[in-house]
Amino acid sequence: MTLTYVLAQNLRRSPLRTTLTAVAFALPMGIFVAAISLVAGLREAALANERELRLAVHHRITLTNILPEGMRRKIEALDPQRERLTAVCGMRWFGGRRPNSQNTLTTLAADMDTFPVVYGDVGMTAEEIDAWRKERRAAVVGMNLAEEARLAVGSRFSLESSIPPYLELEFMVIKIMPQDSKASLMYFRRDYLEDALREADFPLSGCNIFWVKCTGAPAMATLQREIDALFANSPNETVTQDENAFISNFVQATGNIPGLIQMISLVVVFIIALIAGNTVMMSFRERVRELAVFKAIGFPSGRILGMVLGESVLLAVSGSLLGVVPVSLGLAIHPVKGLFLGPIGGLKVSPIGVVGALSMAVLIGLAAGIWPALQAWRLRTVDALRAAA
Amino acid sequence: MSAADIELIDVHKHYRKGRLDIPALDGLDLTIDAGSFVAIMGPSGSGKSTLLHLIGGLDAPTSGVVRVGETRLNDLDEQGLTEWRSRHVGFIFQMYHLVPVLTAAQNVELPLLLFRMRSAERRRRVETALQVVGLEDRMDHRPNQLSGGQEQRVAIARAIVTDPQVILADEPTGDLDAKTSQEILHLLSLLNTDFGKTIVMVTHDPRAASFAGRVLHLDKGVLERDERNAESSPLAAS
Repeated sequence: MTLTYVLAQNLRRSPLRTTLTAVAFALPMGIFVAAISLVAGLREAALANERELRLAVHHRITLTNILPEGMRRKIEALDPQRERLTAVCGMRWFGGRRPNSQNTLTTLAADMDTFPVVYGDVGMTAEEIDAWRKERRAAVVGMNLAEEARLAVGSRFSLESSIPPYLELEFMVIKIMPQDSKASLMYFRRDYLEDALREADFPLSGCNIFWVKCTGAPAMATLQREIDALFANSPNETVTQDENAFISNFVQATGNIPGLIQMISLVVVFIIALIAGNTVMMSFRERVRELAVFKAIGFPSGRILGMVLGESVLLAVSGSLLGVVPVSLGLAIHPVKGLFLGPIGGLKVSPIGVVGALSMAVLIGLAAGIWPALQAWRLRTVDALRAAA
Repeated sequence: MSAADIELIDVHKHYRKGRLDIPALDGLDLTIDAGSFVAIMGPSGSGKSTLLHLIGGLDAPTSGVVRVGETRLNDLDEQGLTEWRSRHVGFIFQMYHLVPVLTAAQNVELPLLLFRMRSAERRRRVETALQVVGLEDRMDHRPNQLSGGQEQRVAIARAIVTDPQVILADEPTGDLDAKTSQEILHLLSLLNTDFGKTIVMVTHDPRAASFAGRVLHLDKGVLERDERNAESSPLAAS
């Protein structure tokens, strides 16, 4: 027998109380792992974007304003030697919906010539680039979208735009993007869209956004200033941002989701700490005399303190494992995928989330147990035994 | 003076309650020979439990000297006293105070966790202790599966498993019926006569005190009477 065994057995004193406290840990900690995995996924996506060295140029007032096509050439003219600027790709929002669906998909029409350069992270092979160039209806589709719509390379499908003039266009899949960060996206050729708009007598041509692929971080900084200066005091004043800033603003327009998740997680953790503290205090009060006997038979005060703390941590960690293990295994075996996950595409278990949850459990156990542990340490054996008598 | 197991020299113990200074023991001089069985009696507040606690190193005198064997308890700090108790003293309480989620054997094993000992050696000592108290067939029973008398036997086994020199019992039969009390007192007598343990027992019960070879009567912290009983144990009578 070991003291750890004694601690574990102590949790069986009141099975109902231990079970309820364990469940109080299990549910929030399971959610905590999922929440941190989501935040970690967003951060991972942000890091991936950082490596691509792209600037987003859009109208200063609103992203929905169309910028003239000619702005692309003016941006390119800032660096004719291509020492700082690799290429510029204009994109226009299509907002396609599948037939009989109200869900708007992230579908963007991109410049045919520069899309493969500016979006090299899509990983198009030479054959795919060739297909992109040759097929007007070519579509590059994220894996979540492909899975939901049961698309494969070569599939044809139609989407209806959610914005005027509500065009319905047919597409052909030439590539399925495997990256998580692209899982819910679709790109097709902007010239195809512009031709269709002209046929529909829709006068407005241009782009919602120009993506500028830079050669390095210093180039990004200087081009960012120069582009906005170029279009300052014009009808099409611009805001130029790096990709992460752009996506953050975009996501935050619907609410600061990561911040909200973190705040809720902290509140939940605080509440668990209160519950755990209450449980440990109750357990300690019931066992004051027993602890006095432990001291009487020779257990040092420090060891008594360790026992009370250890029991608290054991309760916290074992309860947390009840939630963390199923969620982690579940996400590891079957990551949650869905277009609703936006920029991250798929929710996978984050090791940081698991370690974080268990570390948090240890801290909660220590915090909940420290006060009763100190009281146990200070317990005067004689007084407690007299009270027992 | 012969080699004494327990010696108290001019021991005073006062407790402070607010502004009041309450004397629990008032100039006690006492010698208890090694291997004796002593009962301490007296009304409530006479200082019986205080005397037991001082002998067991659970409390320190306000003044005076407490010596057990070769050890002057006054010289030990709290950590020293704790370690000394774990090796030299076994405690038996009125309410047994067993850990309800451990078996009888595991309860007896608890004091041995304080020592570096192989699990086989711990197991052997536990079995021996339970055999002495006659509960070797109840090793895997939990306290709620034992009678009051059996629980007290387990507590006694826990007290002797470290082979202490001194056993201190505070009202060991206080919660037991007459028949079970007799069994427990017989057991304590056995530990005294067959194993040479020095036993100091606090009791209200004259019948329990009759098992002891010597009865000390305390009143208001002072030793009123010191009776020696030549035919102390009913075992001797039978």
